[in-house]
Amino acid sequence: MRVEYINPFVESSVSVIRETLGVEVKREQITLKSKAVPILDVAVIVGLVGQVEGRVLFDMKRETALKIASNMNGEKISEFDELAKATITELGNMITGRAVTKLSEMGYKFDVTPPAVFSGQNMEISDSEIEALIVPIETPMGRIEINVALREK
Amino acid sequence: MSDNKTPVGSKGDGTFFKALIIDDSVFVVKQLSQILQSEKFEILGSANDGIEGFEKYKELHPNVDIVTLDITMPKMDGISTLEKIIEFDKNAKIIMISALGKEDLVKKALISGAKNYIVKPLDRDKVLSRIETVLKK
Ligand SMILES: [Mg+2]
Repeated sequence: MRVEYINPFVESSVSVIRETLGVEVKREQITLKSKAVPILDVAVIVGLVGQVEGRVLFDMKRETALKIASNMNGEKISEFDELAKATITELGNMITGRAVTKLSEMGYKFDVTPPAVFSGQNMEISDSEIEALIVPIETPMGRIEINVALREK
Repeated sequence: MSDNKTPVGSKGDGTFFKALIIDDSVFVVKQLSQILQSEKFEILGSANDGIEGFEKYKELHPNVDIVTLDITMPKMDGISTLEKIIEFDKNAKIIMISALGKEDLVKKALISGAKNYIVKPLDRDKVLSRIETVLKK
């Protein structure tokens, strides 16, 4: 996977989280994974189709998801209910949207599919035919792993 | 938007503008409803995909003054929904609200009849000022 695909996702993750949650964030070292990826507790997945295809996964602990959902809704959310799911999904949607906008300015043409969220322990995503780059973002609510697997058709 | 100002949702004759919100995220529907209701808009309805959104528009017509329309949605995306609504009612006032700000998409939406285009994350003042501009035209 080309490294130039990853930067827009890193930048948009940092800027969207800052703007939306009003917190400072720090990005950690990028790592490469080529095997199936275990998900933490909660994962939002957004598909990309077109000239570049693949998916972006936003992975975090349940506790982190609840803190983020509480922040974005301006009220305490202690159950991972429909509203919490929709909130976390929307965060992933906004990050992906901004990154895709940036990539399109760089000349890559593609569309995004509606995001989906899933949660549960001991889950794995196996789409191992595409290697994934993982960018951990550290926030005061906990860590979010941005897992990007894209390839040119 | 200070307290002693006329609310953005006021028509000026004692009645208020009516909105339809089309977005697949219940979070965004809630967020937009709160913003609009705080300025006295009446939320006539909401829909979570394009097909439902188009049906709601037809059902509520001619009472809808303003539509907020998402782009990335299941079943029917926002651009197709926009085209359908405009085909049904060429005077529909539709504002696109999307996480995608791609130039080709913005152009396509405006050419297809959208009156404005807001890129998420949402900012309360931006949403209200864009809607105000569209309603005053
Ligand atoms: Mg959407």
